[in-house]
Amino acid sequence: MTGQTPPDVEELADRLDEAAAKAAPIPRLAAAAGVGPAAAYAVQEALVERRLARGERLVGLKMGLTSRAKMAQVGVDEVIWGRLTDGMRVDDGGLVDLGRYIHPRVEPEVAFLMSRSPEPGEPVGDLASAVRAVAPAIELIDSRYDGFSFSLPDVIADNTSAAGFVVGPWRPVPDGLDNLGVLLEVGGRVVQTGSTAAILGDPRRALDAAVRLAGRRGVRLREGWVVLAGAATAAVPLRAGDHVRAVVERLGTASLRAAS
Amino acid sequence: MTVDIEQAASVLREAYDTATPCPPLRGGLLPEGDVDAAYAVQQAQVRHWTREGRRPVGAKIGLTNPAVQASLGVYQPDFGVLFADMAVDDGAEADLGRLLQPRVEAEIAFVLGTDLPYEQVTVADVIRATDHLLPAIEIVDSRVAGWDISIVDTVADNASSGLFVLGTTPRRIADVDLRLCGAVLEHAGEPVSVGAGAACLGNPAHAVAWLAATLAAAGRPLRAGDVVLSGALGPMVPVTPGAAYEARISGLGSVRTRFGDREETS
Repeated sequence: MTGQTPPDVEELADRLDEAAAKAAPIPRLAAAAGVGPAAAYAVQEALVERRLARGERLVGLKMGLTSRAKMAQVGVDEVIWGRLTDGMRVDDGGLVDLGRYIHPRVEPEVAFLMSRSPEPGEPVGDLASAVRAVAPAIELIDSRYDGFSFSLPDVIADNTSAAGFVVGPWRPVPDGLDNLGVLLEVGGRVVQTGSTAAILGDPRRALDAAVRLAGRRGVRLREGWVVLAGAATAAVPLRAGDHVRAVVERLGTASLRAAS
Repeated sequence: MTVDIEQAASVLREAYDTATPCPPLRGGLLPEGDVDAAYAVQQAQVRHWTREGRRPVGAKIGLTNPAVQASLGVYQPDFGVLFADMAVDDGAEADLGRLLQPRVEAEIAFVLGTDLPYEQVTVADVIRATDHLLPAIEIVDSRVAGWDISIVDTVADNASSGLFVLGTTPRRIADVDLRLCGAVLEHAGEPVSVGAGAACLGNPAHAVAWLAATLAAAGRPLRAGDVVLSGALGPMVPVTPGAAYEARISGLGSVRTRFGDREETS
């Protein structure tokens, strides 16, 4: 025991909720409040609870730090996860209002659509039984912290920077998702190139991690939920007027527009 | 200042022969930015090696990534000459004794079925001339200490070529999505470099078209049977002695190589 007062989870969640609502960044908070990864997930839950209290619905999970490069960048060796609500959903090809965000970035991803609720601890090696479909996706991330800079507990508490997501057309899961080429285009220019191999070597591993890690916190994936598996390239800033498109080999495209 | 092409070439050859990197050539033996002089040095090397009986089998294209080009302040690719003795069998050990500071990258190899003698080349010419594609690992290397290279250094140094590994299952160009194909280079089951076809000048076929036109203009056109390493599909990775690497390219299969432990010599 350190003798330190337990972190005030509700107060920290309020601060993050307000930062998002006002699109005004705040200083990092985890270190000062003595919040480690476990407490950070409690803050995240309380933070998302505020959205649900306002009428939003939980529609899935997102995985973060799924690439070696990102893990190294943050100095950790584990995957993290956050919660997606319907309030974050942007229609494919839809318009986003940059005024709602602090310093938004976009990254190309792969999304899974769950066909059933896996048992806690069930390995999802057999994708066909748990996944109905797969789609190209764009995640819009927006850290609520100054300078997009944070520790691991900070980013977990901040719902892993989740802010918005676009899912392209669903299609049956093809054979082999482990090395599909991925492009991120802005205004018709390719700004990032990568492969789904960047997502833990195979996006299916991210799905497995989602079931396992969320299960530890008592969260079970449900039929119809979306799982964003993680970024296939580095994120790029989203600027006014940008037309952003994620292109995934054999899966197709997802796109959004930032209002100018 | 008169540029002593032969002297620059001999400095590079010395680096090969003694397995000791040399200082950059730019600003000393070669004027900064004099790409023509750099290609003259490369040609001097190629003539020397050919006289030695080495067999040219094609070419490699370098500087095909916009980020890499920007880091060198150049806005065009470059090329070097491939020799048969630079080929390493799929799965075999690459000889670290022939390398100074190797790096690996995943690439698509174009094997030509017909000549490409045109100084103006379209991507349609490239597609028609391509007999088949192979997955490849290029083991790049620099004779310049610490990879401290400018465009002039790398061009003179045969475009920083080292060795190369070709896969052995040919694919037809019609069966591969050259722009969107995913590419991953793995070490011990971990992706260490990922990318896609578009990372190479937007499409590897564009790089081959550039090379064909450039070589035709230089009077040494690509010929049927030539192997063209079209350019990296992801960031290059420094080689760890003792490591094995596998490149997988979507639609093209895989190819691999390994490296011995570097022996300490005293």
